[in-house]
Amino acid sequence: MSDTLAITLRGVVKRYGSNTVLRGIDLDIRHGEVTCLIGPSGSGKSTLLRCMAFLEEHDAGLIRVAGDPLGFDAARNRLPQTEIARVRRNIGMVFQQFNLWPHMTALGNVAEGLRQVLRLPKRQAQERAMAHLTRVGLADRASYYPSQLSGGQQQRVAIARALAMDPKIVLFDEPTSSLDPELTGEVLNVMRSLADDGMTMVVVTHEIGFAAHVAQHLVFLDEGQVALEGRAGDVFAQPWHPRLRQFLETYLDRGASVLLG
Amino acid sequence: MTWELVVLLGWGAVMTAALSIVSITVGLAIGVLICAASLSRVAPLKWFGRVYVSFFRGVPLLVLLLLIYHVLPQLGLDVPGVVAALIGLTLCTSAYQAETLRGGFVNVAPGLMEAGRMVGLNARQILLRIRAPIALRLTLPALVNEAIMILKASSLVSVVGVGDLTRTAQNLASSTFLPLEMFAVAGAYYLLLNIVVGYGGSGLGRLLGLRPA
Amino acid sequence: MSDFSALREAMPEIVDGLWLTLAMWLAASALGLVLGLAIALARRFGPVWVDRPLWAVVGVIRGTPFLVQIFLLYYGGPFIGLELDPTPAGLGGLALYGAAYFSEILRGGLLAIPPGHVEAGMCIGLSRLQIVRRIMLPEMTLLVLPASVNMFVVLLKETAVLSIITVPELTMAVTGFGSANFAFSQAALVLAIVYWTLTELTGGLGRLLERRLDRFKLA
Repeated sequence: MSDTLAITLRGVVKRYGSNTVLRGIDLDIRHGEVTCLIGPSGSGKSTLLRCMAFLEEHDAGLIRVAGDPLGFDAARNRLPQTEIARVRRNIGMVFQQFNLWPHMTALGNVAEGLRQVLRLPKRQAQERAMAHLTRVGLADRASYYPSQLSGGQQQRVAIARALAMDPKIVLFDEPTSSLDPELTGEVLNVMRSLADDGMTMVVVTHEIGFAAHVAQHLVFLDEGQVALEGRAGDVFAQPWHPRLRQFLETYLDRGASVLLG
Repeated sequence: MTWELVVLLGWGAVMTAALSIVSITVGLAIGVLICAASLSRVAPLKWFGRVYVSFFRGVPLLVLLLLIYHVLPQLGLDVPGVVAALIGLTLCTSAYQAETLRGGFVNVAPGLMEAGRMVGLNARQILLRIRAPIALRLTLPALVNEAIMILKASSLVSVVGVGDLTRTAQNLASSTFLPLEMFAVAGAYYLLLNIVVGYGGSGLGRLLGLRPA
Repeated sequence: MSDFSALREAMPEIVDGLWLTLAMWLAASALGLVLGLAIALARRFGPVWVDRPLWAVVGVIRGTPFLVQIFLLYYGGPFIGLELDPTPAGLGGLALYGAAYFSEILRGGLLAIPPGHVEAGMCIGLSRLQIVRRIMLPEMTLLVLPASVNMFVVLLKETAVLSIITVPELTMAVTGFGSANFAFSQAALVLAIVYWTLTELTGGLGRLLERRLDRFKLA
């Protein structure tokens, strides 16, 4: 296992009852790269991302995070809860619905893992949490409760919460999909600056512009399979793939014409 | 414990069911009026509705029954215990139903009424064809719950001498010295009645095209 | 009231009754809440063989009148070796009754927590116990507040029923005075006003608390 690979997936299958959502995914996520997962709704991209955090348990295949198997080993023995938690520590997650805890302030949300998981003393946890809030530009909102923040601010707090645990990889599950259009910019800017700092990121997104400009690695999923994958520029430069072309035409009204020339 | 006793208790259950059905239906009618009053823009009406709901929900049913049972004769109305019991149950449930209905009415999304206005419905049509049906759908589960509550609460009429299920069980318990059995069977009857009401409610819900809650 | 000195004479008994009502209400509420929480957690996180019997017990308590339960306990108890004085029987019965309802309220609260909030906790590495303690229980508390206040009011009103098994609480004390002095309706009126005041106060306190917790609520 090369240590340049942050996450590897081999033959990953996920079913819900008789509905097979992922049909044997092989994928490598490299360190220091931004990987964008795009595809039509129902293509399985969110499920794939959630499998990478073991929020969904894959039914077959092997997922390794930083070299270690996630959830199940190669012989498909279920790993103990502590081992799952240990491997998961490499990963931070940002959700579509933010999922901030409503009974904690912004600072409390970010400090929670530092206090309860890393067992940092209160002062130290709060200082580190504050530093992360500052990084996402919300130092002045530290004492606000989630209900008192806009959607964009909540999502930035959620990013700070994920970063505070010092993950090697951050997964983003449609981070701007439940935001008003004028609020997506502030979240995308934070993500762009993270990418510039060399953070390994996997992003499920409908923001094709973000994917085109920020991603190094682009994965187009269709019907539970990787339909197309490669350097972002290459994929968008050759939209000869009929499904990708169709997808781009449907999902973009203005952007597509620019990209498709 | 003989079949005879189970049948005797069964007659008590019939009395309990009858009391509940009457008070629930009359209570619903009064509840609609009280709900309308408390949603009214006329201040005295609104106040009357609010105080009515607050009082009859705030006083224990037992105390309410005692009050009615003793006050009516003083007003020159010498009514049998059954009537006092029915009045008490009805007043109590009407207040709860009024409050439930008010919640339903207030929670109908304003956009649905605006949409009605935009297709040209008048205020009356919007109330009768849009707001009221939606409010009823929103409150049906709570109204079924209320029916179950009053069915159980009706056991208190036994204290004003009405021969309902609980009173029958009490009488039989003291005459047979089998309180454990009598009250257990009475409890089983109440459970049975509640299950019937619950099923009836979800059947009604299906009839109105509601998904089960 | 016909005779004022009779009332003065009965006053200590009535005041004692009021205190007993308040004490039994608060004790039964607290016991019911704790037991209800235990039932809710056991049903939510425990195995099926724990969930099923609890489901049945809770269903029976919620499906039958409190009066019948209290009769069963007080008059039926001695036949199975459970001889209780009225006050402990009333307290135990009321606490059990409250526990059944509270367990359903709290279980509903646990089920209403968005799964993403739990997933977020898993993702930053909180243990299961930490997730329950730090995320689920506080969020549940916010969600169940209105229903719980309602239940407290219900329990307050049910304390009046305990007079039927001769617990010397407020209703017993006041109706006792009423029948001794042939002032039945006056006694009932006084009771109605006292209970109405108490339930309104409780409801008002609940609403105040709810407003104070408003900022924790997400839209």
